Amino acid sequence: MKKLLVFTTLLVLGSSIYGQTYNTFEPSKTQFMLRGYGHTGFEYMDSGDETESTFLGSAFAPIFLYKHSDRLMFEAELEFVLESNELEIGLEYADVMYVLNKNMTVRAGKFLLPFGTFMERLHPAWINRLPNAPLGYGHDGIAPSSGIGVELRGAFDLGGPKLNYSVYSTNGPRIKDGSEEPEEAGILQFANYEDTNLAKAYGGRIGLLPFSDSSTEIGFSAYSTSGTGEEDSEFEDIGAFLYALDFSLVKQIPGLSGIVDVKAQYNSSNVDTATFIEMHEDGDEEEYSFDNQSNSFYAQLSYRPTMANSDFVKKLEFVGRYSDFNAPEGAEWEEKSTQYAFGLNYWLSWRSVVKLSYQTTETEGGHDGDGITNTDGLFLHWAIGF
Amino acid sequence: MKTVYKLIIALVILATTGLTVVACSSTKGTYSDVPATADAVAEEEFKMEKSGAQLWGETCNRCHIAPSPADYNDTDWETISLHMRVRANLTEKESMKIEEFLKSAN
Ligand code: HEC
Repeated sequence: MKKLLVFTTLLVLGSSIYGQTYNTFEPSKTQFMLRGYGHTGFEYMDSGDETESTFLGSAFAPIFLYKHSDRLMFEAELEFVLESNELEIGLEYADVMYVLNKNMTVRAGKFLLPFGTFMERLHPAWINRLPNAPLGYGHDGIAPSSGIGVELRGAFDLGGPKLNYSVYSTNGPRIKDGSEEPEEAGILQFANYEDTNLAKAYGGRIGLLPFSDSSTEIGFSAYSTSGTGEEDSEFEDIGAFLYALDFSLVKQIPGLSGIVDVKAQYNSSNVDTATFIEMHEDGDEEEYSFDNQSNSFYAQLSYRPTMANSDFVKKLEFVGRYSDFNAPEGAEWEEKSTQYAFGLNYWLSWRSVVKLSYQTTETEGGHDGDGITNTDGLFLHWAIGF
Repeated sequence: MKTVYKLIIALVILATTGLTVVACSSTKGTYSDVPATADAVAEEEFKMEKSGAQLWGETCNRCHIAPSPADYNDTDWETISLHMRVRANLTEKESMKIEEFLKSAN
């Protein structure tokens, strides 16, 4: 009985203190938000002679947003993933932004690059309609995903149509010269904390939304640098020019009782021809060079029957995606791949989705050697944003 | 097939589907009618000016599924609006009207 009395007293007092803290609550002018996302899943892969299946440990990506005033803001994202049983922490981005005027904002720090739209706008697990990125992105991808530098961006209202732009300069990419990983000689590495030469990368994107309902956007991006090698190395003057075209259409179509979403992006990378050294097993060295041009493309169509009568059907989504990737002929990483991916998603909320996907990929060349490999994969992923 | 051709074909297909979809589903009248009176002019302008709710429906769905007003409180919406204005390269007018709507409807 005594215990009960003490307990009730504590409860009453406790809740009144709790209530009071909230009574005096006033919104502060500065604001801090902790957001982010995580995902986990199961994958089964079959490449003819090899099959594997695995549960994926969750990836966890906290995002910090700090709004100082109506013009000044800071954003940062950390990424925690398990990579061969080790915890790896990555800094996806960390930048400050300041709204200069109604048509221009400046950003500085490490930011996601508006090279096309996939990396900047569509890659987070709770946004991407399929469990993985299309071919050509991510590890060994040819599209730069982030950079350290400064950027100006903004948008114009053209009285119906809208135009948006971004121009930036970042630390340039580095070319892998093959001294450490001979099989990757000629690949560009982006997002370098320190630049090794004076040549910076310059780039930008221009996007046009031709219709007043903002349903459609077409974009053109370019990224160039005059030097990718270390100062005074033979790669110092090896320049690179990359461009991308992107397309987006999102529209509610009453005739189809739902929302149709089309996304596409084409990337092209042209690196000046350089000479690399191949070490043979007997110790001989041989010089070789190749036309260092790569490209990749993806187009994705998805449909959500949002106007269906059944609550269950409303939350479903059907997805199909084609993607291909072509790495230069003559390079150690020469590759031609095409992939078809199909998906069925169930949206638990606007930021939480269970994705079931089947993907079939045909790879010619690549890291696994010559010949053609066909890989079938089955994925079950769960992504949640918070 | 050369990639350039593939690309051109893909773009043409996408552009035509896009245009067809937009053309077929638009129910708006044309804006070319010449309004006769001041009232009509005002009305015409009113019609062209989209509400925050409409802009929210059209804009916030473009990359991810749009959140509902009730998902966040006013202070959060202010932060999110600034974040999205910059990340999604929205115009000042779009983001302000949407923010107003989200704060009024939560
Ligand atoms: C051009 C693409 C795009 C458009 C349009 C867009 N968003 Fe986003 N949104 C994103 C991306 C990308 C993120 C994830 C940011 C990250 O994780 O780095 C995001 C994240 C969010 C978040 C999570 C919190 C945060 O700020 O990161 C909210 C809430 C949100 N968006 C609301 C909106 C609203 C409201 C609109 C309409 C005004 C909108 N979005 C329009 C791309 C977009």
